[in-house]
Amino acid sequence: MKVRRKHMKVKLVRLLALMAALALVAGACGGDETDTPATPETVVVTSIVTETETVTEVVTETVTEVVTETVEVEMVNPLAGTTVTVFGPESSDAEAGSHQAALDIFAAQNDMTIQYTGERSFSDLINAQAAGGNPPDIAVFPQPGKIADFAREGWILPIPDDVLATMDANIGAAWNAFGNVDGVQYAIPTKADLKSLVWYRPADFAANGYEVPGTWADLKALSQQMIDDGNVPWCVGIESGGATGWAFTDWVEDLTLRYEGADFYDEWVAHTIPFDSPEMNAIWTEILALWNTPGAVYAEGGTISSTFFGDNGRPLVEGDCMMHRQASFFSAFFPDGTAFGPDGVDVFYFPSVTGDRPVLGAGTLVSAFRDAPEVWAVMEYYASPEYADNRQRFQNLSKGGGAVLSGFLSPNLNADLSLYQPLEQSFLDILFTAEVVRFDGSDLMPAAVGAGTFWSEATSAVNGDKTVEEATAAIESSWPSS
Amino acid sequence: MVGVLSVAVNLLMALGMAGGAGLWIDRTGRRSRTRRIIAVVVGAGLGALTWWGITSVDKLETTATGVVVSILASGLIFVAANKLFDLAPDRWAVFTTLVGAACSFTGFAMLWGNRVIDGPVLRTVVATALGAAAGYLLGTVERPGPRLAIGTGAGAALGALAASGMRAVILVFELEQGTFELWPVLPDLRYVPLAILTLAGAGAGLVVRLLRRRETPLLRSLMPGAILGYAVGAWLVPDLGLGTRTDAYVAAIGVGLGIGALVGLKPIPDHNARGQIEGSARAYIFLIPALGFIASTLIIPTLRTLFLSFHDARGQEYVGFVNYRDVFGSPNIFNLEGWAGIFGSKLFWVGAVLILFGMGVSVVLGRQSGYRISFSPGSGGIAALGAMLALFAVFAAMRGTLFNNLWWVVTVTVISTTAGLAIAVLADRSKGESIAKSLIFMPMAISFVGAGVIWRFMYLARDVSKPQTGVINTFWVGLGNLSLSRGPGFWIAVVLSLGLAALMVRLALRAWRVGERGIGAGAAVCALPLVWFAYALWRGVGGFEVRDNGDVVASTIQFAQQAPFNNVWLMLVLIWIQTGFTMVIFSAAIKAVPSELIEAARVDGASESQAFWRVIIPQIAPTIGVVITTLIVLVMKVFDIVKVMTNGNFGTQVIANEMWQRAFTELNFGLGSALAVVLFIAVLPILFLNIRRMQKAAS
Repeated sequence: MKVRRKHMKVKLVRLLALMAALALVAGACGGDETDTPATPETVVVTSIVTETETVTEVVTETVTEVVTETVEVEMVNPLAGTTVTVFGPESSDAEAGSHQAALDIFAAQNDMTIQYTGERSFSDLINAQAAGGNPPDIAVFPQPGKIADFAREGWILPIPDDVLATMDANIGAAWNAFGNVDGVQYAIPTKADLKSLVWYRPADFAANGYEVPGTWADLKALSQQMIDDGNVPWCVGIESGGATGWAFTDWVEDLTLRYEGADFYDEWVAHTIPFDSPEMNAIWTEILALWNTPGAVYAEGGTISSTFFGDNGRPLVEGDCMMHRQASFFSAFFPDGTAFGPDGVDVFYFPSVTGDRPVLGAGTLVSAFRDAPEVWAVMEYYASPEYADNRQRFQNLSKGGGAVLSGFLSPNLNADLSLYQPLEQSFLDILFTAEVVRFDGSDLMPAAVGAGTFWSEATSAVNGDKTVEEATAAIESSWPSS
Repeated sequence: MVGVLSVAVNLLMALGMAGGAGLWIDRTGRRSRTRRIIAVVVGAGLGALTWWGITSVDKLETTATGVVVSILASGLIFVAANKLFDLAPDRWAVFTTLVGAACSFTGFAMLWGNRVIDGPVLRTVVATALGAAAGYLLGTVERPGPRLAIGTGAGAALGALAASGMRAVILVFELEQGTFELWPVLPDLRYVPLAILTLAGAGAGLVVRLLRRRETPLLRSLMPGAILGYAVGAWLVPDLGLGTRTDAYVAAIGVGLGIGALVGLKPIPDHNARGQIEGSARAYIFLIPALGFIASTLIIPTLRTLFLSFHDARGQEYVGFVNYRDVFGSPNIFNLEGWAGIFGSKLFWVGAVLILFGMGVSVVLGRQSGYRISFSPGSGGIAALGAMLALFAVFAAMRGTLFNNLWWVVTVTVISTTAGLAIAVLADRSKGESIAKSLIFMPMAISFVGAGVIWRFMYLARDVSKPQTGVINTFWVGLGNLSLSRGPGFWIAVVLSLGLAALMVRLALRAWRVGERGIGAGAAVCALPLVWFAYALWRGVGGFEVRDNGDVVASTIQFAQQAPFNNVWLMLVLIWIQTGFTMVIFSAAIKAVPSELIEAARVDGASESQAFWRVIIPQIAPTIGVVITTLIVLVMKVFDIVKVMTNGNFGTQVIANEMWQRAFTELNFGLGSALAVVLFIAVLPILFLNIRRMQKAAS
């Protein structure tokens, strides 16, 4: 009996063990939910701990100088030791490298770490990251439409007032409006592209006696004259991997702004004017008529829809065509050693129909996912002229330095213009002085259209697989109902 | 509060670790102080690891420790569960005590973990003690009356314990903006559906009992269903959060009472039955890790996809079949409009003529051999080729993602299987077999994405004013130049193709005379394109174009852009990869055919082709089946090649890429999931066939 009881005791210990093991299951079930609210608390605690550690270090270093000690303690940077992650679409060595370098300067000043990651398929990945609850601290959005989606999901955070003040002091209201969702500012513009440009070689024009056209009608006449002279007026290519078709949508947007005006453009983007309205069909037809004129287009890849958009730089330089309509960043796609300016490759403003000179722009904006002092510090840096200048310096260096086009333009009004080449300064001038600036429409539309059917149906229409009416009707029917 | 809670959880965890480790190390049953000490140290170490993981801010650390601790804990639980059932045959009372304690502890720990109850520590401890006591009594008391009383009493007490502490709402998490997400708990009982569901559950139990014809007491066969019905009626049907405390008592005690009664009604099993309990429990314990893995990686995601496919883009509101209607209603996905075009295409009529011709030959052959119709390799092949061409015409006219996928399935499966089989047969025991097979197998080593990129370069075209750089267009434009040149190369090509055609005609005549009518017909059909090629070369063939003003300029083929046959050019990439696979499988199967069989056939006077069609093919038929089903499943899921080469533009969209774009580019998870479900359902019958075949082969 006695022995048995002892045995029971052993078993009792085992019983307890089993129960406790089962507690693990419960712990695992509840674990996630316990963590979530705990995180902000814990963050605060650790940062305090870090501070105390730094203080002790300082104290040990300055044992003898009591007075300096207090000063040192006050100067301890609250950002020291923190880490901020940034995720964006800029993935080429030049862009991602100079972005990281510009961030590294700020990180070094504050003894913190900022990690930029660039991915070409940013648009897809950020969806998965945000929906999966694993977003970066800051994301660099090329599409304001996505910022609006994310803001309405509650994924990105409104910008606090002190950062807002820095932004308003440095960046024009027209650009800031692209980061504004339902009256709340969610994003800071960090990069600007000027889209209403036509690249050409002044020497070719001079040799043939052509003049830079001042109106859309002049441009069409010039195009026809070039064909009659046996020259090929346009280099066009809309292939771009998963984004094939966007180059055509830029033409549509530019001409919509010119023919129908900014108000119509806004309504069209907001879908109060249907996509297959007669005005839109007319614009599509006009572009395709221009492109499909025999002899009007040199397509490096055989057809427009199979020509990579970036492959249009070399033919223009080599004289296979006379003009190429593409954004300011296209300077990066010309062969190495291409001279820019009157003696090499230059640009003229994509002419307007009515003389109102509207400008189509694009760019990137940054938004924050995590509410922490270090994140807002980096956001504020993005809004400062220091970021703009550092970024431009590094981007220029990455292209070889000196008199090269960096491919980067800052929307920051207080940026140092002397860092830019004359051609780039003229881009900035157009951007800052234009009365009507509109963001690339496809970037403002819901992703199903702006990054989906607008591109794919445009490709079908350009390729001749569908008529203009079929294509625009398909886009209209794909517009999300909510 | 959170801090205190996590301290408590961690203490418990550390205890669990220590105890579990002790159980493991002390498995001999001997008392050993050293082992205990080791166990406690190990447990404390694990507890510390957990603590470090939970308090760490670094995501990587939290995740890593979480993974390690979960694996170790699962292992300990696994061991403990095995140990527990060791007790069943010989120490029944101890076993029931432990099970009673464990069950009530798990139940309350889950309520605790999900923050459903207030005062969780005390309640869980009390519940565990209660469960242990009830378990001990049920394991020792043998008279039915008291047993029932103990069971129902304990069940009701546990239910009351849970209901008394139940919170009206649970704070699920606190968002950073200061808003809360709340889950309501207290059920707003509605007694009519509750009664109906309970009765329905009991009815289901009755039906099962009648069907199974078991000799179980009536009440016990009715109760499980009734309890389930009651639980569903009490907790799933009513609006949660709107009820009163009384409602919670009724809902919780009812369930506890039922389960307790069910347990109490069972007599104590005899020794044999206990052994059975141990044996079957053991099977489940060993199955659970595998089942859990499959459930978490396969079954739950599948159900989730199904769930999402009936909801809106954000997966929040139920929309019924709207997504499925969109799938079949979208002209880009499912479009029958072009059906009339089938009859306007030359391809269709060429196919139809070939089918008729093949059938005709077969009928002639059939008359000779006494059957109504007899497909020989030649005649059947012609008919099959015709059918393939006609199908191409059909798919070229009926556009949309779903038809593209079908087209892929038919073309890649048929051509890969046929080509693989032909190569395997022709290369079999011939000189240089291994080299030829290695070369053909090589593309298998290239990823789909890599192959897509390679073939993009193969298909590349440039502006016609420039020299072509894509391999195929270089040849095509070169052929045009050759055909226009009328130089020596031109004449060599014409003579060569006419000579080959003459050879084919000779072969045809010979075969016909020998009696191999099928081969004869096949050779004759092969001669036609050769003659046509010579004629075309003379007329002018290849990549050139004569302009209105008489200028001759080069002309390229946009393989990836010209719909609808760009689909076929993309399929070629997959055929290029997969033919190596089918060839290797078929080659192995052919080599496994017993040579006596073939020799016996030869002795009986079978020709080479008869030996192949009548002996080898039936012998390798199961292999062909496996290869075809494997290919169909693979081709159904085709994604990478299309993504890389066209991204679904130019009418080359396939279901997998469509799904990706809808779900991940456009964030329309409803439509994306619906497409995934369509793909899943389409693959299902083939998978089913495959499994059936495997089961047959196994038995």
